[in-house]
Amino acid sequence: MIAILIVLLPLISAGIIYLMGKHLKFGRFLFLFTAVCHSICSVYLLLNPEAALSKWDIGKTTLLGFDPISALFLLITSLLFILVAIQTHFWLPAELAAEPEHAAAHGHTAAGFQKESVFRSCLLAFLAMMTLVTAARNLGILWVALEATTLVSAPLICFRRSAGSVEAMWKYLLICSVGIAMALFGTMLLDVAASSGGHSPGLNFDKLLLTRSTFHTGWFKAAFIFAIAGYGAKMGLAPFHTWLPDAHSEAPGTVSALLSGSLLNCSFLALMRFYALAPETLRPFCKNLMIAGGLFSLGIAAFFILRQNDFKRMLAYSSVEHMGLAAILWAIGCDQGAIFHVCGHSLIKMTLFLIAGNILLAYGTRAIPTIGGMFKDMPKTACFWLIGILFICGMPPSPLFVTEYLLVREAGPLLSTAVLLLLFVVFGGMTKVCLSMLMGHTGSSAPLPEPTKNAERLNLIPLVALIAVTCCGIMWLILLNNGEI
Amino acid sequence: MNAFVEIISVALLITDLVLVISGRLLHSIRWVAIQGILLGLLPLLLHESGFGVQMLILAVINLSVKGILLPLLLIRAMRKADVRRELEPFVGYTASLILLLAATAICFGFCRYWNIAPGAASPASVPVAFTTMVTGLFIIIARRKAITQAIGFLIFENGISMFGICMMLEHGLMVELGILLDVFVLVFVMGIALFNINREFSHIDSDKLNSLGDWDLPAQNHKDGEAEQ
Repeated sequence: MIAILIVLLPLISAGIIYLMGKHLKFGRFLFLFTAVCHSICSVYLLLNPEAALSKWDIGKTTLLGFDPISALFLLITSLLFILVAIQTHFWLPAELAAEPEHAAAHGHTAAGFQKESVFRSCLLAFLAMMTLVTAARNLGILWVALEATTLVSAPLICFRRSAGSVEAMWKYLLICSVGIAMALFGTMLLDVAASSGGHSPGLNFDKLLLTRSTFHTGWFKAAFIFAIAGYGAKMGLAPFHTWLPDAHSEAPGTVSALLSGSLLNCSFLALMRFYALAPETLRPFCKNLMIAGGLFSLGIAAFFILRQNDFKRMLAYSSVEHMGLAAILWAIGCDQGAIFHVCGHSLIKMTLFLIAGNILLAYGTRAIPTIGGMFKDMPKTACFWLIGILFICGMPPSPLFVTEYLLVREAGPLLSTAVLLLLFVVFGGMTKVCLSMLMGHTGSSAPLPEPTKNAERLNLIPLVALIAVTCCGIMWLILLNNGEI
Repeated sequence: MNAFVEIISVALLITDLVLVISGRLLHSIRWVAIQGILLGLLPLLLHESGFGVQMLILAVINLSVKGILLPLLLIRAMRKADVRRELEPFVGYTASLILLLAATAICFGFCRYWNIAPGAASPASVPVAFTTMVTGLFIIIARRKAITQAIGFLIFENGISMFGICMMLEHGLMVELGILLDVFVLVFVMGIALFNINREFSHIDSDKLNSLGDWDLPAQNHKDGEAEQ
């Protein structure tokens, strides 16, 4: 019962906020209240495996339910959402106030924004759909939920109405929908593979898991290829990642934080479900496919990070890189490592996107070469930016250090050399960008005084997240040291 | 009853061929509607031994969404974005037709060679489903207007659902309704996006949506609405 409750709660709140569009204060309160309730529910689910195991059925088919992995992903999503909700509460007024100032400073008319009630209800609907992805026990429902995440998050990308954001929204809609449609085809092929033995077990994940040894191998191969193309597109695996940099760079910081931190995890979960269904004889095939996708993502990300002019795009490519790493970790059989990796990545990337939002608020530009001397102009943000960038590159005590170490330890010598080399390139690219933004004198675009003051005040959530990440990292290092991972 | 399935398969193949050469958007939308109606009828013809209430409900919803609601939404989006025709497609209409015919031949040959669908409703139906998917993808790639890409997506989705129907896959009411709802909302959101694109760029040529990229500096001021420089 709790499974359906936790999906419906944000959905209903979203509806209420949309309908009561005029009552902004009530909307803000309900928004935060829902975020808190949702995280209480998800903590309860993680702590009570019995409750989590309870299923929600219609007729004979189980539709919703949790297992330990999906409960963990739900918790991460929920945690991220509550942090983002608090940040949104303070960031939104600052952003709306900064727009006319930037417009005046740069001599153009101020852009319009979406209605606040629409923005908040889309965010909540997004949360509901991501919850549904983690809760789905039926691959059909999983597909429906993942496609729905695209639909409800598309309006979020063009929160600030500009040509760029509309373009990003269109690309996001089209590429993700076509990609996800491939995954639907993959799901159908899986059904064909499963029913080749005679009777069809349907799309229920648990039933499919029991009968997976009888799958028709040819059909399953085709199914997995389409699934990796479809869910890989949503997850940001190269070469299907092209929507990701556009969407992440045009969306407001808080939305990018959710897109990168939670949505990519949910798509990864879908791919993990497909991988889990592979019959033993096909495991090497699926493994090679995922490793190839992962390595290609790493390569693409390294190349584009090296010559990047836009700091939000840089973060987006870094997401491509980390999803590639997670895919490799999962494929080489280091399941725990992959799950740790996406969780750590979620927290750090959320922090970085929130900080990027603050920088954007102060400077009004994403162009790296025009920003300089952040240590002088906005010292707190600059420190957090530096720490965040070092953490995302896997500098200890970052949790990503532990997982990347695991990857190098478990993978063969050739694979780990390639990964390390590419990681090194990424590290070089990102630190170069970071240092050029932080050091030196104020660049050609100077921060405006009032928005800078506001942006410096918005650092509470990044601070909390960074402390949490450090604690996680130290804990995992200790576990690693004791040989428990 | 199998004869009906073959007739509908052939009719669907014809809609594909017409869609790929039609330049008027209204015309394309009408043919997508016809395709949706044919698809909605297909499951009713497949189950000879009577059908349950659930199937009837599904068929009615399917017919009304794919045959009526989606085309209406598309026509509305077309009017709002103020476009009538697909001028200067990337691939000319004659070339498109030849390419699609070649693709059809390949799909049929592929299915025959691998004997891909012994469980399918009729030997013609699965290759036609593949052809429909290829048509959708081709239209998405080879046409210039953003609205045509939305139409292409619908055709692609029609191909996938035809595959599902012909392989006698049943996913249950919830899943089928969920998929339909998703497609419906997608077309709705795409309509809004089209309106916004038209307002910001004053055209809906998707090939000119290229202001975002990795090579140039992002606009000096991100608040700047001028994307085309």
